[in-house]
Amino acid sequence: MLSKNTIIALLTLLLISPLFGITLADMLGYHEPLDLVAEELGLEEEEHTWTPLKEYTFPGLPHWLGYIISGAIGLLIIFAIGYLIKHMAVVTG
Amino acid sequence: MHIPDGFLTLPVALISLAISSVFIALSIRKIRNENLLTSDRISILTSLSAGIFVAQMIAWPLPGGTSLHLVGGGLAGIVMGPWLGIITMSLVLLIQCLLFHDGGITAIGANILSMGIISVLTGYTIYRLLRRFTKHFIAGVIAGWLSLTSAGIVSGTILGASWSSYLPIYIMGVWHIALGIIEGMITGSVISYLNVKAKNVLRW
Repeated sequence: MLSKNTIIALLTLLLISPLFGITLADMLGYHEPLDLVAEELGLEEEEHTWTPLKEYTFPGLPHWLGYIISGAIGLLIIFAIGYLIKHMAVVTG
Repeated sequence: MHIPDGFLTLPVALISLAISSVFIALSIRKIRNENLLTSDRISILTSLSAGIFVAQMIAWPLPGGTSLHLVGGGLAGIVMGPWLGIITMSLVLLIQCLLFHDGGITAIGANILSMGIISVLTGYTIYRLLRRFTKHFIAGVIAGWLSLTSAGIVSGTILGASWSSYLPIYIMGVWHIALGIIEGMITGSVISYLNVKAKNVLRW
């Protein structure tokens, strides 16, 4: 279903993701334009927690490792959904 | 650009959800009626969803203290077409929201509307128009750029509608006009690469 090159590319992106998503973000303190809107309007995020993987963390693991594991879980779920859709599409013709 | 919980008023959140639901239902109907969900397309949808998901985890720092990650709506629209593109992006956004709380549950309709619908339709339409006159890369750059810009403006409009303010439209619009250039460069490069290495991916 997935080519070798696709898997290599996805794994590479996954492994370097904490460097950009955590390390550089903490080091440089950058933010998205949406944060500027929140600052201007005085908006604050409501804290609801329904998942242990909030913000790509994994309980008990350092943030960088949790980031990679969370990403891997996300990818596996996408592959599983893709597999199910493919299987159902074949079953239903 | 993922709007979290607490940033939208209830009526705006509900209206956004209703509009998104209509588009998703319409997409599913089109996919079914036009038999778009072939085995090949499912494989591409899965790979593209996975690629966009992991690419969104990579935020690039930019001068001025801001950051950018690929949204991928334009790319999804160009590669998958409008209807499968909407489903591709909705799948990514739902997983991000439900599993990782990336984007609020009350803002899921708004996030799908801006990043999963408007950016896909804009990217697809602009690319189709420009492909008649320009090369894949140029058409992809402009389509990617305008797809992110339009998503930013819609996201700002939704926030502005919540708080009766034009400021979010201005901030989100101006920033994403600038940040969209990078989205465009990535989109153009990927489309250009696919056109050389995997032409079947762009044939729909």
